[in-house]
Amino acid sequence: MLGFGRRRPVSERRASGETERIFHEIEQTFRVTGINLEFRTLAGFDKLFPVLWEEAFLNVETLAFEEGADHLRAEAVQVARALGRPGALEAVDLGESERFRLRALLALYHYVNPKLLLFTSALSLALRGVGLGAGVDERATEESLVRGVPPAMHPMEMVDEEPDDPRLRAIFDDIRRTLDLPSVNSDYRSLALFPDYLAEAWPRLKSLVGSARYQQGAAELRATARTLAKRLPYPIALSRARIERLGEDPDALARALDEFERILPALIVNVARLALDFEPPERLERSPFPAATRPAVHFTEETAE
Amino acid sequence: MTLREWQRKQRVMQLGDRFLSYVDEGGGRPIVLVHGMPTWGFVWEPLVSRLARDHRVLVPDLLGFGCSDRGEGFDRSIVRQAEALDAWLDGLAVDRAVVVGHEIGGGVALHLAAHFRRRVGRLVLLDSVGYDSWPSEPLRQLGHPRAWRRPSPRTVCALLRQLLRRGFARAPSRELLDGLLAPYATDVGMRSLARDAAALDPNLTLELSPLLPHLLVPSLVLWGADDPFQPLRIGERFAWDLPLAKLVVVPGARHFAMIERPDAVERALREFLAEEEARPPSEARATTH
Repeated sequence: MLGFGRRRPVSERRASGETERIFHEIEQTFRVTGINLEFRTLAGFDKLFPVLWEEAFLNVETLAFEEGADHLRAEAVQVARALGRPGALEAVDLGESERFRLRALLALYHYVNPKLLLFTSALSLALRGVGLGAGVDERATEESLVRGVPPAMHPMEMVDEEPDDPRLRAIFDDIRRTLDLPSVNSDYRSLALFPDYLAEAWPRLKSLVGSARYQQGAAELRATARTLAKRLPYPIALSRARIERLGEDPDALARALDEFERILPALIVNVARLALDFEPPERLERSPFPAATRPAVHFTEETAE
Repeated sequence: MTLREWQRKQRVMQLGDRFLSYVDEGGGRPIVLVHGMPTWGFVWEPLVSRLARDHRVLVPDLLGFGCSDRGEGFDRSIVRQAEALDAWLDGLAVDRAVVVGHEIGGGVALHLAAHFRRRVGRLVLLDSVGYDSWPSEPLRQLGHPRAWRRPSPRTVCALLRQLLRRGFARAPSRELLDGLLAPYATDVGMRSLARDAAALDPNLTLELSPLLPHLLVPSLVLWGADDPFQPLRIGERFAWDLPLAKLVVVPGARHFAMIERPDAVERALREFLAEEEARPPSEARATTH
């Protein structure tokens, strides 16, 4: 099945060679246990993917990036709070272990999705020729994040996109249709590990997707992400000419990035809403996996010598 | 109890950065049922309601298995599993229990008995791994670092269903096999199972061999008469080496006696639990249920 930008996503299981290495790097620098649909999709641009990651990863390791994502997360919680708690958790009979694992999965996506949005915005801006890293205080690059997946973060487990369970297939079809998606996001596929829960949660999310308040909240989040992306410390050299030289289609990449920039704010709000069933908003506004920092190492010709 | 009902019953305990899911049913003298590979606590389902009438039945999913933590970067060896169970029993305020181990769960139970002696009031080995009787070739292959990447989880589950079928004297239902493999039907589940398989190390039971004659814990060695994975001679050797052991053979059963003959397994367990005093080593002998 073709996904965003009409590229076939590369699963972690199928990744090999350079893509496998980059997936590992993503997990270490994004501090996440799995590879989201966006990176699986970008890996479908196989000639471009290594260059794209080389250009972007320096920003991902900065404190500015982590704090930007923290800001987006807190803003999303405010939007979610205004939309109201969905009450899906009370509506379904889950065991203690199931609730624990569900909460952990929501924490995982609540953590990583704002980072993905910021990353996507940065790439989109770079592709449109907007310079990043200009006029940023040098202190922004003095510290880097400590690499590595937080030990308590749960694996990014998800069901197959074409599940055997007819009820799940129907829900996935509805998600694709409602959100106009070529592929179902990792988040919903993870929630599908608890089919009774997803069956309760999705209609409650869906009922607000078209509302003005929801759309406005998502739009504001998108705008904030762009503003924050412009403040990231390192430039990203991703011109259309360079992409074409690599033998890839810049329009296809732009389409894929636009799609992710469109859907991620809504997804972030949805996850925050679902998490409100588990946690008070004040707690959700804080990062579920705060990052430690270390002094940054800057490779220059001098250090190389 | 259906798979769904079992999942609903599962509780959870955080053990440091890791977590362990378990079922805690009934009340009375605690019995811990430790599963083998490639299954999870659900394998004990036919026995739980029987025993829970007058016992507190505790059924953990080992770390890396079932609905317990299946993340990366932790030790999944039977030694570590025994340490985790010790911490878990601490958390439950269970000082002493009857510990029943099936397959690699038997290896875990042996380590628990050897290194956390106070925990194990009585020991039951059901078609347990031991000495150098394990791992089987398919599980060894599954432990290859790249094994989980090759075929899809669907394909691997189909292969594992074939493997499990060999452990039953009469063909089990598809529903049962799916239930036994349910936690492994995703990429993460399959990767976790591959990590579990990579941690299968017969050195960890071989190192216990010289200790067995000194393990003064009343023991029941319960064995499916026709187990193709852990042949009866392993059970006979356990019964010989463990000084306070008796061997009970379950006729008509292969590797999964608790599913194939829950009545016989329950009867053997109850007789064993009813014994006031263990038999002296010289009386270790085979009986048939």
